[in-house]
Amino acid sequence: MIIAVLALVGALVALYLTLFKVGVIRELVCNVGSCERVNTSRWAMFFGVPVAAWGLATYLALLVLALVPVQRAALERALAWLLVAVSGWSVLFSAWLTSKELFVIHAICIWCVTSATIMTLIFFASLLELARVRRAERAERFDARATVQPAASGGASMPGEPHG
Amino acid sequence: MSQKSARAQRSNVVRTQRAANLKPFYIGLVVVAIVGIALIAWSAQHSDASRPSIANVAATPLKAQGHLLGNPNAPVQILEFADFGCPHCAEFATITEPDVRKRIVETGLASYRYFDFPLGNFPNSVHASNAAACAGDQNKFWEMHDKLFEGQPDWSDESNPKGVFETYAKALGLDMKAWDACYDSQKHLPEIDADHEEGVRRHVESTPTFVIGTKQIPGAIPYDMLKAYVDTAAMAAKTATPNNSAPAKGKSGTP
Repeated sequence: MIIAVLALVGALVALYLTLFKVGVIRELVCNVGSCERVNTSRWAMFFGVPVAAWGLATYLALLVLALVPVQRAALERALAWLLVAVSGWSVLFSAWLTSKELFVIHAICIWCVTSATIMTLIFFASLLELARVRRAERAERFDARATVQPAASGGASMPGEPHG
Repeated sequence: MSQKSARAQRSNVVRTQRAANLKPFYIGLVVVAIVGIALIAWSAQHSDASRPSIANVAATPLKAQGHLLGNPNAPVQILEFADFGCPHCAEFATITEPDVRKRIVETGLASYRYFDFPLGNFPNSVHASNAAACAGDQNKFWEMHDKLFEGQPDWSDESNPKGVFETYAKALGLDMKAWDACYDSQKHLPEIDADHEEGVRRHVESTPTFVIGTKQIPGAIPYDMLKAYVDTAAMAAKTATPNNSAPAKGKSGTP
């Protein structure tokens, strides 16, 4: 659940920056740093597409992955790994962009830093989610081996609920 | 009933209960989305409202030269206050200005005068103005102007942009020794300051800002809007009594 909330907030931040980049929003609310300088630099584009738009697409993908209901344990594990992979890659990309802000552009965009922080939180939440899924799998295997009475599943969640 | 089917039935019950428990979460998520989108919409409207508006201005004689393009005696003068480091100025210079030159300046409808107005937000703006002014010494101001705006991302973040400017100067076939000496001497800084002062005197707050006739228009306006202002100013010039406030002489050139 926490991943879904974070991804939604991240998507809103990315949408705000994307609308600025395409000219719908003329001026960013930016009390700290220099958002305009960062968002108009060459690093604000990646393969001809605004970095903010890439971020928006990534956050929406994470939101869908976090909300998709799964019925099978194997699929649940695969989705948890996908969340870790997508958010892990995005954290590395955010770190690269932040290094450009600090050492090349010499300006900080508070919205970009907010997005990088959200993505880092999503990454850690995804790791926790993966650990939870693996714990639940182990508990299920133990449950299946029990012959007399099924073991109590403890805190393990059932497939079918949203991730995060 | 087998042990396996009993377990499956229990799982289904738990799943249904959890789905029911998640309803407030989904509602909360939708509320967050709605509030976020509303804030962004408000911000979009607010940012438009906070833009400086078009102002009526009295005809004010120029005290700075700027850089002139076209016929100085054209019936209408377009003044542009711009910053070489400003992205909106680059947007105007690369998208709209070619049309303005071809269809308005070259046809004699209006003259075009560029004033350096470094805002202070972009660290290399004055260096770029200096590079362009030095190219102007060899009658290549407008060519350098175009290269600076087209290549803005290549030099705006550099700690020393001179190397990039040199590649432009070489590409334009400038006498590099003279351009280099001019750039290092910074002899055009007083003119750049004078251009900036002209903008301050006219209460320019953002770049690009245009003065056409009695209108001062902020923003990278589209061609059609600019042409409409030129037409209005031309009509006014036709009907007005002859104006004896001759424009200041600028460094003219052809792009």
